[in-house]
Amino acid sequence: MAKIIGGIGTSHVPTIGIAFDKGRQNDPDWKPLFRGYEPVAKWLAERKPDVLFFCFNDHATTFFFDHYPTFALGVSEEYRIADEGLGPRPIPSLKGHAPLARHIARSLVDDEFDLTIFQDLPLDHGLHSPLTMMWPTKPDWPAKVVPLVVNVLQHPLPTPRRCFKLGQFLRKAIESYPEDLKVAIVGTGGLSHQMIGERAGFNNEKWDLEFLELIDRDPERLARMPLEDYMRLGGNEGAEVIMWLIMRGALAPGARKIHQSYYLPMTTAMAVALFE
Amino acid sequence: MKYVFDLETSARALRLNRFLHSLTVASKRKLFLERPEEAMQGLSETEKDMVRHLDWKALQDYGASFFCLEKLARTKGVSNPEMVAAFRGEGLEEFLKTRRVPGAR
Repeated sequence: MAKIIGGIGTSHVPTIGIAFDKGRQNDPDWKPLFRGYEPVAKWLAERKPDVLFFCFNDHATTFFFDHYPTFALGVSEEYRIADEGLGPRPIPSLKGHAPLARHIARSLVDDEFDLTIFQDLPLDHGLHSPLTMMWPTKPDWPAKVVPLVVNVLQHPLPTPRRCFKLGQFLRKAIESYPEDLKVAIVGTGGLSHQMIGERAGFNNEKWDLEFLELIDRDPERLARMPLEDYMRLGGNEGAEVIMWLIMRGALAPGARKIHQSYYLPMTTAMAVALFE
Repeated sequence: MKYVFDLETSARALRLNRFLHSLTVASKRKLFLERPEEAMQGLSETEKDMVRHLDWKALQDYGASFFCLEKLARTKGVSNPEMVAAFRGEGLEEFLKTRRVPGAR
């Protein structure tokens, strides 16, 4: 049977991918960020999950507001790298685990999560800006992904509670897959940032550190918080951390955070945390 | 809550956002850079004018999604900190002074 071996929470700021593509590993401005991901990359290299299940959002790249899904699950064998205005990043196409993804789709719909299903669409930095910090790209990606795209752009957004519940049923879906697979769950987004309005540039380190504590010790409390509180505390765009709740909901209740890194250089607080 | 991209905003600015989103296609970017008026044909005069002047604040207030504006910014070689500074009514240098690591962009 498939098994969930751990979880990762990570920011997906586009500049993380750009810093990687430009080889900024030893640039003093970026070094702390790269250092923070090293234990996560090491854990992945040692534990060798067969699949990373990625909870992230598209940034009006592949999905547009003429047809905007709340939860959309990818069920393809392959995903191209999306063009976000500068041409696609120079990294390999992502390989999808289609049989697992189809099984998850059937299981979640059966449990009344009425997902949108997509295939053969390119994926944007929401998934691969953190991925290149954690997985080697050469000669090719070491394993496969299953992408879950969440609406955190156009309100109404799904509630934090709904995200947490989805994670709990995702666990049931994955653990009922008959093949022996090791799966790690990745929840992306945040931490605090606001890109728009007079409050553009807003950050809240105190809340970020509290969030990193609660996602470990008391995710139920985070699930009970209304979305408005996330927006007030973490910024309008920072509310996207509700996607970490899907990851946390999918982990065993006794899972614990074994690594954390936090770096706030510019407009968005960049964090990564590892759970086992 | 201010500046929430809700269904009313989305409906109001759908045409503008659709144009901005089209810049994810290389051929559309090329057309926009070479013959902007032709590329913007479907937009209203107000919308065209905001795009012509890269008036980030006006575009935002009109209902442009930040994530659609990013496509225009990338096409025109404008960074996110420059856009964020414009929303705050600041210049880039002024905004960078408020950041912990101004070089990380």
